Amino acid sequence: MKLVPRVAAAATLLLALAACSDPSAGPAAPAADDTPAAWPSPTARLDGVTLTIWAAQNSNTVPKAVTDAFTQATGAKVEVVTIPDPYEQGVQTKVATGDKPDLAFWQPTASMLTALNARANLQPLDGAPWISSLSPELRDMTGLLDKTRYAALITSPAVEGVYYNKKVFAANGISEIPKNFDDMVEVARTLKGKGVTPFFEMAGDKWATQWWVQVQLADAAKTGLWDRINTGKETFQDATVLEAIKKYKALIDEGLFNADIKTATFEDQGQALLSGKAAMVMQVNSFFGQLQAKAGTAELDETIGFFPISPSGNVGTFIPDQSNALVAFRTGDPKREAAARQLLAYWMGPGYAAFVTDRKTISLRTDVPSPDGVPQALLDAHASLRTAVGSMQALAVANPDLYLNLADMITGSLTPEQVAAATQKQFAQLAKAAGASGF
Amino acid sequence: MPTGQETLTRPATERRAPARRKTPATTGRDRTHPMWFLAPAFAILFVFFFLPTLFNFIYAFTDWSSFKSDIRPVGLENFTSLLSDGTLFGALRITLLYAALVALFQNLFGFGLAVLLEKDTRLNRAARLIFLIPVLMSALAVGYVFQALLKPDGSLNDLLSALTGQQVSIAWLGSTTWTLVLAAIIHAWKWMGLSMLIYLAGLKTIPEDVTEAAHIDGASPWQAFWSIRFPLLAPAVTFNVATALLGSMNGFDIVQALTGGGPARSTEILNIFIYRTFGQGLFAQATTMSLVLFLMVALLAFPVIRLLRKREEIL
Repeated sequence: MKLVPRVAAAATLLLALAACSDPSAGPAAPAADDTPAAWPSPTARLDGVTLTIWAAQNSNTVPKAVTDAFTQATGAKVEVVTIPDPYEQGVQTKVATGDKPDLAFWQPTASMLTALNARANLQPLDGAPWISSLSPELRDMTGLLDKTRYAALITSPAVEGVYYNKKVFAANGISEIPKNFDDMVEVARTLKGKGVTPFFEMAGDKWATQWWVQVQLADAAKTGLWDRINTGKETFQDATVLEAIKKYKALIDEGLFNADIKTATFEDQGQALLSGKAAMVMQVNSFFGQLQAKAGTAELDETIGFFPISPSGNVGTFIPDQSNALVAFRTGDPKREAAARQLLAYWMGPGYAAFVTDRKTISLRTDVPSPDGVPQALLDAHASLRTAVGSMQALAVANPDLYLNLADMITGSLTPEQVAAATQKQFAQLAKAAGASGF
Repeated sequence: MPTGQETLTRPATERRAPARRKTPATTGRDRTHPMWFLAPAFAILFVFFFLPTLFNFIYAFTDWSSFKSDIRPVGLENFTSLLSDGTLFGALRITLLYAALVALFQNLFGFGLAVLLEKDTRLNRAARLIFLIPVLMSALAVGYVFQALLKPDGSLNDLLSALTGQQVSIAWLGSTTWTLVLAAIIHAWKWMGLSMLIYLAGLKTIPEDVTEAAHIDGASPWQAFWSIRFPLLAPAVTFNVATALLGSMNGFDIVQALTGGGPARSTEILNIFIYRTFGQGLFAQATTMSLVLFLMVALLAFPVIRLLRKREEIL
């Protein structure tokens, strides 16, 4: 009588153990079929097909116009589902439990494609019909992992650089933009001498702290810094990165930043630059998005300018983000997988002109002109892409929380050496998990 | 005091003992319900509690991550790398401190309220209801509400500015020392209604004749309260301290909404650390940490409950 429940219990336990594999591995045996998939005609009928797009809170309105047009052209239904912030964590967790959309906004860098296990979870987009129409420098800039294309770039990738208040520069007699990093620091000292806050940083919200270190690494990135870090030949604790961190700290200690640097937020930063309370901000495109919510194009063109910066000159550091690109998932349903590719082909093909007009954003296609009303600072940021070098996010195999450690340095709980050590430790841990050799 | 003495013994244990002796006899047909009625409850418990706990043990010894599909066993590697890392001990220390503070504040607040609102007047009933509302609120909402109140340009500073007549802009959640205490107070504020309810129930079960006898023997109200009624609350103290301590060790939502672990990770309790690690796709490492948390809660639970139970034995 007691045997039955025992056998049952043992059987369930065995079943449970057998189930101990990654559910995201999925039924579709991937890896083998990396042959480019067929690309359906962008406007072929898709009646009865429903596609799901995952988007973040800052990208969920991006697809609306394009998906409406797609529905009209093909009969497919498209649902945009907002995944709450932090978006990347939410998506990774869902995918790990086997939940996948047809398409999702995703940072198209190699490290983030690895984090999503692209080889198993994403459709390869090789042979996509729109690639040959993109501006040459953008074609293979990002979206690739081991030479396979997994992400479709839809908008101009973000660039790290300096947004400055033109009126503050003019009022203090600065007529030319700084030519390199040291030149910029000199300008900052001049401004400080005249009672202006030269730089505004937002350590309260933390994430922008890393740009200051990354732009200083632009020259080293050109000569293979990240390749060396990726293979363990160099570390964050070696001179190149450590010196950049120390320099950042020295500039803060010198008093070139806002007094409330420890608690200031992203919102404060936008306010400070727009009002002229501070002269310069080291930021990426999403910062300008915030300014656009506060002021119109005419006012922004008059007040805000952009210049890229690196130790040796005006070189930008590109960092494509989640709102710049889309990935298509392997859902195991060939019909929906093809429909997802078709939506991408429509978006970047016949639907692209309407898309850039609706979003007032820069066109990536050579045959589609950018719409009127794109602010000059954004055009300048886009123009800098031609010579820009990759950021840590774009070129490193893993993406450690450098920004968190830097924010801790600003609040005074870590030294530059500790920042470098903590970042390296986490980088090694992530690189090892990602299967990089040398860790 | 023969009457008092009788009530002071624990009749419950005596009543429980014969019931236990009877258990073997009740296995026959005279049971009111067949045992398999337990099956649905156990099935749910099995799927949603035992299995995840079991997996928690298994995955902690693998290299499960979001980066690849196969999961390989790695032995104790996750544990050794965690133990060599100062971050885990930092998070553990903060978690324990947070739990201790919550247990302290929640019981102080709950006990104070219970004593204040003990009499069954209409006003007291209304007040009890109001203090119970935070218990029913979403913990995330509590965190966000207090975050908004305590911001440098939040309502609290506005109020202080209006009262003092000068601009007050204190960053209440900016101190690396005191933010943890504030978070613990907010956690305690949310749950104090529950502690109040349990202390109230405890106070209500103390028979009036015990206090009356004390008064007749010449005890002052102060003495009667601290020497007679307070010791009789021991079971309520056990329950309240244990639930507050162990519940807040598993805390996450309030702190996540309030500070997200900041400033400078001074409020990064273990669950926030686990959440961050999991979010980076390091699933196995996060699982290992949650196993460590599970073990720590278990290790702490037994001695704490035994200690508190010991206090009850004097009754």
